[in-house]
Amino acid sequence: MRYGFYIGTCLFLILIQTTILPYFNAFSGIYDLLIPFVIFICICLPIRESLPFVLILGLIMDNLSGSPFGFYLTFYFWLFVGVRWVLKFLRVSNKFLLSFVVVIAVLIENIIVIGTFALSGPDWQLPADAFKNIALPFFWALITGPIFLLGLLALSRRFNIQLNGASPQPNAYG
Amino acid sequence: MFSKKMVLIVGGIVLITVNVILLSVTSKSQSNFGFGRVSLSFVAPFQELVTRSVRFARGIWGHYFILVSVSQENDDLKKSLNHAIEKNNQWHELELANKRLRNLLSFQRSLANRVVAAEVIGKDPSTWFKTVTIDKGKADGLQKGLPVVLPQGIAGQVIEASDHYSKVMLIIDRNSAVDALVQRSRARGIIKGASADQCRFEFVLRKHDVQVGDTVIASGLDGVYPKGLRIGRVSDLSERSSDIFYEITVEPFVDYEKLEEVLVVLRPKIQTFASQQ
Repeated sequence: MRYGFYIGTCLFLILIQTTILPYFNAFSGIYDLLIPFVIFICICLPIRESLPFVLILGLIMDNLSGSPFGFYLTFYFWLFVGVRWVLKFLRVSNKFLLSFVVVIAVLIENIIVIGTFALSGPDWQLPADAFKNIALPFFWALITGPIFLLGLLALSRRFNIQLNGASPQPNAYG
Repeated sequence: MFSKKMVLIVGGIVLITVNVILLSVTSKSQSNFGFGRVSLSFVAPFQELVTRSVRFARGIWGHYFILVSVSQENDDLKKSLNHAIEKNNQWHELELANKRLRNLLSFQRSLANRVVAAEVIGKDPSTWFKTVTIDKGKADGLQKGLPVVLPQGIAGQVIEASDHYSKVMLIIDRNSAVDALVQRSRARGIIKGASADQCRFEFVLRKHDVQVGDTVIASGLDGVYPKGLRIGRVSDLSERSSDIFYEITVEPFVDYEKLEEVLVVLRPKIQTFASQQ
């Protein structure tokens, strides 16, 4: 049931990102909605469960996107490693600091994209709309990223309480 | 012999190196080692369902407002007894729809090869890359490398095909390249994706005559797109004194933000000696 919740949320976010949001021009520059989700499962699931999940998610996204194969796999994997490392020093209850992880992750994703462009050949050029592609997701993440991540955490907590009649694992929420 | 910290650092460096090498290889070859079809088959049916639902809801919403405005208009017309204006408007709408459908039909007939109409059911999750998912696949005769077109011009090419769904790379994607000609002067170059609504026209020699407003068409020499299909219009042109090529920006005729239906041009069946007997 718990996995059903994670798989359902993940599929829901992929569908929103690829089918619904493109219809609305206002959301044209929104960031990768799976970033808060990857951070969320890093927090909520133990490594042996969250790592395969993150890798499968990376594979699916790689195949839905026109990006070089391995881009999302790379990014989600290193995001996973980074978040696990950050969690050693940061308590999840420190929501203010944790929220900035989403913004930083969005910036890192853009840096990796530009890195893959540079790897594609010596005559690479930045796309004409590169600034827009970096700035818009950054501001979207700054405004909605923390709300989104905290919403996911609250939803999971409520879901876990209803499912188990108790709070989720103590390590997950400090 | 080695401390745990040392092993972690070395392991991390090896992992990063392998990662960079793999990304370097895949960014040049566009290969996905066969994983593409699996996840496309898994996610695309859901994308199709959601897209159809959204379009259905938009249709109802749109029709609701159309009905309201028509009702108001009808009331006004009844009051003023001016039914002729309404009829005239309806005829005009029909005439436009008729012209549009004839245009699509004649475009289909003008293509020498068989075409398959497909619906766009999903778009690229990243703003950096320009691909779409369509609801036709290998079962409909689609395969990697087939051109995707519209009456207005070239849309892109199929880069991945599963049984019932395919992924199409649009010509505005930075990995796309189309061998092209300026229709008026026959100056040749390569159209490459630049941004959401622009392409670069590269390797056009400055000795050729190119002007802003010129129409750019496919040359057919890349073996993908049929010759003569329209691509876009030259929107900006500059010359650097040190360069032998122009710097040209092309505005595509197709509006990629509003892409809903496309036509995939199928390759003609190759007649083998065995099949003829």
